[in-house]
Amino acid sequence: MRKEVITADPGMYSLSETNPRVAAERKAYKFGWSWWKTLLPPIIAFVIFVGGWELFCRLADIKPYLLPKPSDIVLAATENAANLWVSVWTTIIESVIGFLLSVVLGVGFAIILASSKLVERSIYPYAIIMQTIPIVAIAPIIVIWFGAGVNAIVIIAFLIGFFPMLSNTLIGLNSTDHNMKNLFYLYNASPFQTMFRLRLPSALPYIVAGLKISCTLAVIGAIVGEYIAGIGGGQGGLGYAITVAASRLRTPYLFACGFSASLLGITFFLLVNAFSKWMLSSWHESEMKSSEG
Amino acid sequence: MQQHMELTAVRKERVRMGQLSKVYPDGTVAVKDVNLSINEGEFLSFVGPSGCGKSTIFKMITGLSGPTDGTLEVMGTTPKQARKQSDTAFVFQDHTLLPWSSVIDNVSLPLAIRGLSRKERQLEAERVLELVGLKDYMKSMPRQLSGGMKMRASIARALISKPKLLLMDEPFGALDEITRQTLQLELLDLWSQDQEMTVLFVTHNVFEAVFLSTRIAVMTPRPGKIAAVIDVPVPFPRSESFRTTPEFGQIVRSVSDALKH
Repeated sequence: MRKEVITADPGMYSLSETNPRVAAERKAYKFGWSWWKTLLPPIIAFVIFVGGWELFCRLADIKPYLLPKPSDIVLAATENAANLWVSVWTTIIESVIGFLLSVVLGVGFAIILASSKLVERSIYPYAIIMQTIPIVAIAPIIVIWFGAGVNAIVIIAFLIGFFPMLSNTLIGLNSTDHNMKNLFYLYNASPFQTMFRLRLPSALPYIVAGLKISCTLAVIGAIVGEYIAGIGGGQGGLGYAITVAASRLRTPYLFACGFSASLLGITFFLLVNAFSKWMLSSWHESEMKSSEG
Repeated sequence: MQQHMELTAVRKERVRMGQLSKVYPDGTVAVKDVNLSINEGEFLSFVGPSGCGKSTIFKMITGLSGPTDGTLEVMGTTPKQARKQSDTAFVFQDHTLLPWSSVIDNVSLPLAIRGLSRKERQLEAERVLELVGLKDYMKSMPRQLSGGMKMRASIARALISKPKLLLMDEPFGALDEITRQTLQLELLDLWSQDQEMTVLFVTHNVFEAVFLSTRIAVMTPRPGKIAAVIDVPVPFPRSESFRTTPEFGQIVRSVSDALKH
């Protein structure tokens, strides 16, 4: 009797669409085709752009210290590969530590602020004011307090990524579905349970949005920090290498450092993006494949 | 099944409202002088148009908001105290399943909040999922389920704590008519399996109320009050064919008449 009743439900057939094999085949076909469709145009545009640049510099005979040819930049990068790698590596370490600190402390403070309306009301305005102070204005003070070097640079990278994490998480924690909150209240959940079983998971899409902002900002923060805090005790990062290259008019190497910095930012972003897909793909609209949505 | 009807007189009182009133701070009178007593094992529906105060009564019974005048006893005590004893369970129009948890984790949520071990939760969750016919889908995520199945999961979550009082606020309001009728039958089936369970059902659908209930409280708006309490003296189990009997039409008519007051 019950079996009949259940199978009579028209909505039941929705599950058959998620037949794993069919879905996988469809995805493979779609992937192979759309992959070329999306990648080919930007690759062609890149080749035309770089080729035009090279050609323009050669024909107009522009001095390398004003605008280096792409080939000059590649040459400068390969000749100084060891130095460049040390700079990139230093910047990676600094920005990763700064980024992780901003994530942990940003989410942690947001949880504290969201736990009490009173605390939020009294502290959050100052958090916003802090956020509007440009990082270059605070950086010298941080260098004075923590000394030139890795400590100061990590703190600058942390500060620049901290506020996006804090405000995003806080908005997420405060926008929990009203019905869900009622449900937890009616089942006598403690504030602690409501926070970690309901509010934090439902804030995850917001937290992930914060991660995407903070990860690229952390790279910028580290490079800005290196500009100001300089070499300190150990090896200089990309920011330091850029200031040195600029002062010596080594423009091709300057370009190589700049491109490395942007590559670093892109890599960071893609990693965080992949992480967010992995975290949210099973339940949140923003990271679902369109064929399943 | 007959007991549901015969024993109401001697059975325990589950909810008692005396001159119950609710005035919102802006002066709106949501509920005025409602007197009603609901007994163990009853299936009582509140029917009325939107704004008639049926959801306000529901909120007061759950303890989400307090009355401004009159008395309200739930399970012989205050609404808040009754909720603390975990004898009450809730189903809303929105299924309110956590999208990041599997069906079984969603269903066992009330027990997880109470701090029961994983093993106990698993056992109870399998029991109620079997009841609503979702046992094969316990590992699924909510978004993989149809609207009807989500509502079944939501009902399973309410039943897991073996409630004495089940409060349902327009649970089938967002479902299509075919699914709605299927779930009505299933709900009656679940209710008949537990002789002690009282169901309070809020709806604006007269047919639904007549099909399900032992008694119907008809409410009219501005100010929200009970216009009539109508008995549905039709024995259980009720089948689909009840919907087409002359008796059904008669009761629907008397409820509709009461709504026009």
